[in-house]
Amino acid sequence: MLSPPVLDIAPQKLPAELRASRPAELRGIRRDHVRLMVVDRASRTISHTRFDQIGEHLRPDDLLVVNTSRTLPAAVPATRADGSIVQLRACVRRPGQWDALSVQPEAPHANVALNPGEELRISARMTARVLGRRPDIPLLWRLAVSRDGLEEIETLGEPIRYSYVPDPIPLDFYQNVYAGRAGSAEMPSAGRPFSRQLLASLRASGVETAEILLHTGLSSFQDDAFDAEHHLYEEWFEVDDPAAAAVNRAPRVIAVGTTAVRALETAAGADGRVRPMHDWTSLAIHGGQTIRAVDALITGLHEPTASHLDLLRAFVDEPLLRQAYDEAIERRYLWHEFGDSMLLL
Amino acid sequence: MTTNGKLTGRVALITGASRGLGRAMALAFAREGADLVLCARGEDELKQVAAEARERGSNVLTVAADMALTRDVERLVVLALERFDRVDILVNNASQLGPTPLPYLIDYPPHVFSDVMKVNVMAPFHLIWSLLGGMIQRRDGVIINVSSDVAVNGYPGWGAYSVSKAALDGLTRTWATELTGTGVKIYAVDPTDMNTDMHRAAVPEDDPASLADPADIAEAFVALATGVVDPALGRLEATQLLKHAEPAGA
Repeated sequence: MLSPPVLDIAPQKLPAELRASRPAELRGIRRDHVRLMVVDRASRTISHTRFDQIGEHLRPDDLLVVNTSRTLPAAVPATRADGSIVQLRACVRRPGQWDALSVQPEAPHANVALNPGEELRISARMTARVLGRRPDIPLLWRLAVSRDGLEEIETLGEPIRYSYVPDPIPLDFYQNVYAGRAGSAEMPSAGRPFSRQLLASLRASGVETAEILLHTGLSSFQDDAFDAEHHLYEEWFEVDDPAAAAVNRAPRVIAVGTTAVRALETAAGADGRVRPMHDWTSLAIHGGQTIRAVDALITGLHEPTASHLDLLRAFVDEPLLRQAYDEAIERRYLWHEFGDSMLLL
Repeated sequence: MTTNGKLTGRVALITGASRGLGRAMALAFAREGADLVLCARGEDELKQVAAEARERGSNVLTVAADMALTRDVERLVVLALERFDRVDILVNNASQLGPTPLPYLIDYPPHVFSDVMKVNVMAPFHLIWSLLGGMIQRRDGVIINVSSDVAVNGYPGWGAYSVSKAALDGLTRTWATELTGTGVKIYAVDPTDMNTDMHRAAVPEDDPASLADPADIAEAFVALATGVVDPALGRLEATQLLKHAEPAGA
């Protein structure tokens, strides 16, 4: 399934040096000292501050909804029948089956075709038999796996790092401070700037936090033309009773990241109330769509072509969104998972 | 033992759980109904302790892991949360003594010094760092770091171990100030000299009869974990805790 076209900000407008190559702490600042752009939809104003000052833009009784999914070292080497090595990046993991990208182990990690019926060895205890390509997303390979693979991923894997992160940044930099159960192929990065100290001070001022879980898949299939088609796949999410109740009670719900939006909107009924739910979601959110459960959004800045922007259009009209992205480039905001942040109110 | 069920529904993670104090704590926590994540390097001994804990009614996850390896610490956290979704009680008990007989610090090999610090300081730091977020969110959690007399007193030969335990006390002290009011408790507990493999390796000339039984000392940790004693956060002595806890035996 393809989503509608995205905001047409030309990718070439984004200077390479604005792609954050290292986390804030390795740039010599605290994680909560990245920059924050505040986009106020009501007044149509854009202001610029630092992430740890976010409380000045929040109100007592605001509810932050965070995605507690922990990042996996999801790039896992596997040995092919001919002895060569491929890197598997599981996008969707179900009991007994992975839908995984198969790429070269070294940069630029180009896709490697597998042979249906071939057996890949992941560890002494774990094999993966190639069933074939996934029909709707042909760059993903359906693999029958002999174990759930969590131990293998944690033992053998590396975080998925894109070309703008040249150094082998360790896995702990890819975790949010509230990360719990593991399962995300890539960091749900919108919450990365939160420190525990900041969350505690927000809590002291009456801003509560609710936790949901959504295990993220892959943001790229290592093929620009294919990525531009915005293939949708399912992601596992869990909204438990306390989170649903908190969302239904809160006067203003601020989703930390688009993953929190997708989980809550999937769990929201037509009446706008969120029900507890554990399920797969492949909900696509785009401009013009009514957002039922979420009132505001904290998000990072992502590639102008990313489908991420589609979702933002559901919150912000195109002129204001364009102005925000223009200001971000002009003021040299840093992009991607280790970059700066936006609050859309 | 007559006390039972004080830790029912709680999940406790204990490192270095295959022998000595770690094993004794695992069995005492199991008796109180806790679910357990037990970690040590040696899988066979660990499975033995797990079997004994299960006989006491515990759900037990064992993870063979080396606390000197960052990756193993992360794997331990991931498998624990996958199985139980949370950890309520974390006991950083795994320790490395270094070479025995204990060389003087003036002769200590730098690489071995670093290894001791990895196991005794970095691994507890990393485990606490990884599990603290959930504890703060739930406003509930008990972290106990196993310290030592040598953290505060200097003795010849105890160099690396002594420095590492002083560092662990320092971590505990700072975190105690930062965690006040969060509902998460953190302690460093000096268990006293016990009749364990580690103590025998360090001080072979000590008379075992003069040393405390780890099973008795484990009750001090039970008292802290259950909240039967509720002292100010920071450094504590097990023998003092036992005086304040209600008698465990009948």
